[in-house]
Amino acid sequence: MTSSENSNVILEADKIHAWFGSHEAVKGVSLSAVMGTVTALIGPSGCGKSTFIRTLNRLHEEIPHTRVEGQVILEGKNIYERGVDPVGVRRKIGMVFQKPNPFPSMSIFENVAAGLRLAGISKRSLLAEVVEQSLKQAALFEEVKDKLKAPGTSLSGGQQQRLCIARALAVKPPVLLMDEPTSALDPISTAKIEELVMELKKDVTVVMVTHNMQQAARISDKTAFFLMGELIEWGDTSQVFTTPKVEKTEQYITGRFG
Amino acid sequence: MDDKAPRPSGGSGPSGTTFVRMIRKQTPQPRWGGRRYTRARLSLSDVKRRWVSRFGVFFLYCLTFLAVTPLLGIFIYIVNKGIPGLNRDFFVSLPKPVGETGGGMGNAIVGSGILVSLTSIIGVPWGILLGVYLSEYASSRLARWLRQCIDQLSSIPSIVIGLFAYAMIVVWTKHFSAWAGTFALLIILVPIVARTTEEILKLVPQHIREAGLALGIPRWNVTLFIVLKGVRGGVMTGVILGIARIMGETAPLIFTAFNNQYGFSGLNQPTASLPVQLYTYAISPFEEWHQQAWTGALVLVGIVLALNVISRILFKKSEVRRD
Repeated sequence: MTSSENSNVILEADKIHAWFGSHEAVKGVSLSAVMGTVTALIGPSGCGKSTFIRTLNRLHEEIPHTRVEGQVILEGKNIYERGVDPVGVRRKIGMVFQKPNPFPSMSIFENVAAGLRLAGISKRSLLAEVVEQSLKQAALFEEVKDKLKAPGTSLSGGQQQRLCIARALAVKPPVLLMDEPTSALDPISTAKIEELVMELKKDVTVVMVTHNMQQAARISDKTAFFLMGELIEWGDTSQVFTTPKVEKTEQYITGRFG
Repeated sequence: MDDKAPRPSGGSGPSGTTFVRMIRKQTPQPRWGGRRYTRARLSLSDVKRRWVSRFGVFFLYCLTFLAVTPLLGIFIYIVNKGIPGLNRDFFVSLPKPVGETGGGMGNAIVGSGILVSLTSIIGVPWGILLGVYLSEYASSRLARWLRQCIDQLSSIPSIVIGLFAYAMIVVWTKHFSAWAGTFALLIILVPIVARTTEEILKLVPQHIREAGLALGIPRWNVTLFIVLKGVRGGVMTGVILGIARIMGETAPLIFTAFNNQYGFSGLNQPTASLPVQLYTYAISPFEEWHQQAWTGALVLVGIVLALNVISRILFKKSEVRRD
């Protein structure tokens, strides 16, 4: 990695280990993400990529009997340092989940405004502005502008997922984590989200778990291949997919296992 | 009779009847549709199966009918007996001494209102918070232990709760009071509200909580404003059912709030309530009081029924919103 690239690193994981009880799901993964890029994490089910991504915003520790070791450096500061409030960390690192999960009995508007509102911002005009901007960013505004008061759960699956993206963007995080954001969606909604991710990377750095290798190849700049809790290979997407250095990667990519 | 059955318009292909049979073979028939054709095709075992099934369904109808008969019976009986005494006086007047006609249960209605409101004001937030704690914060071992305790508490006979409140409060303060009654009713209300709240919160999928946390919302905020708010209809249902339950409790009040023929005179004084007044009148030997007791029963059942209906409507509304 060149030094100019290095200076643009916004998020860096350093020897991350993560446990569920006594089971070590992530075994010493080091990875970094450069500002304005999309990093895809691929690998077979159960390889620890989702667990890894959840250590990046300190969500892993919310599950009882779990443990994390290692460092995650966000904008030069270790988020696992003593005294760092996970709540503050999560404001800077947004997350989109596998299943669209709009908040129940909240309208579309309230869903997008939730992050700001529960942080104590109540100025109506400011909220309206941010909501509109976030929905536009998530390419959903045109579809919902006349029914902002409708329940968030009344939207279709693909729209709900874009609503969740808008909700995450509303607090303006520099980094956005996506945990298989399209695996519950149909191909058309998936295409929309992929397009959106490529658009979004101007403003946010995206780290995305995906089961779909074509998706990783289409939209990511960097690809990391996980297997059994370890990072097997990591590099530019074009390199990983065309000339993988490790045999296991090649076998996985060509569909020989996984 | 066969209007709805599929019929070919003729033309090429198999002849009309054969065609109908072919279709009948593979598609389920409307119940009253194609008897004439299907009956001929039934084998003996089919006939048997059909009759066994009919008999089974009939048997279930009978059981259902038997189960709801007492409800209807009670209701009709109470309405019948209670209506004659139902007038404005019943709601606003104090009881009259034996031998005088008229009078009402104004004291008991006001007393019940005060006891139930006081208990609800204290017990509902308490129960909801306890339910939230059980579902969201307690470690699984502690939660299991607490849940056991609460379940045991709600299976204690209410007369025992009344005696306990008597020993704790009445003996200590040396007089019956609304507070003592409230104390006893709280022991009944809090577990109900806590457990229903807990059960309903558990219906909220974990990923909703994670979505809130991932937005950088503090945990208690996620719990109150996202999780609890999302199921408020269901929680309200539990609350109202709990209130309906304490509305009708007699045993815990007999030794605690006791009764008061002179209307409400302060929270530190004996306080009348509908169930206790009803009980007092019902066991008396006087015909006028019996009438009052029936009317009291009618009013009590009416209030409880209304509360149940309201909770149903609230729950339905919340269901619709969740989808």
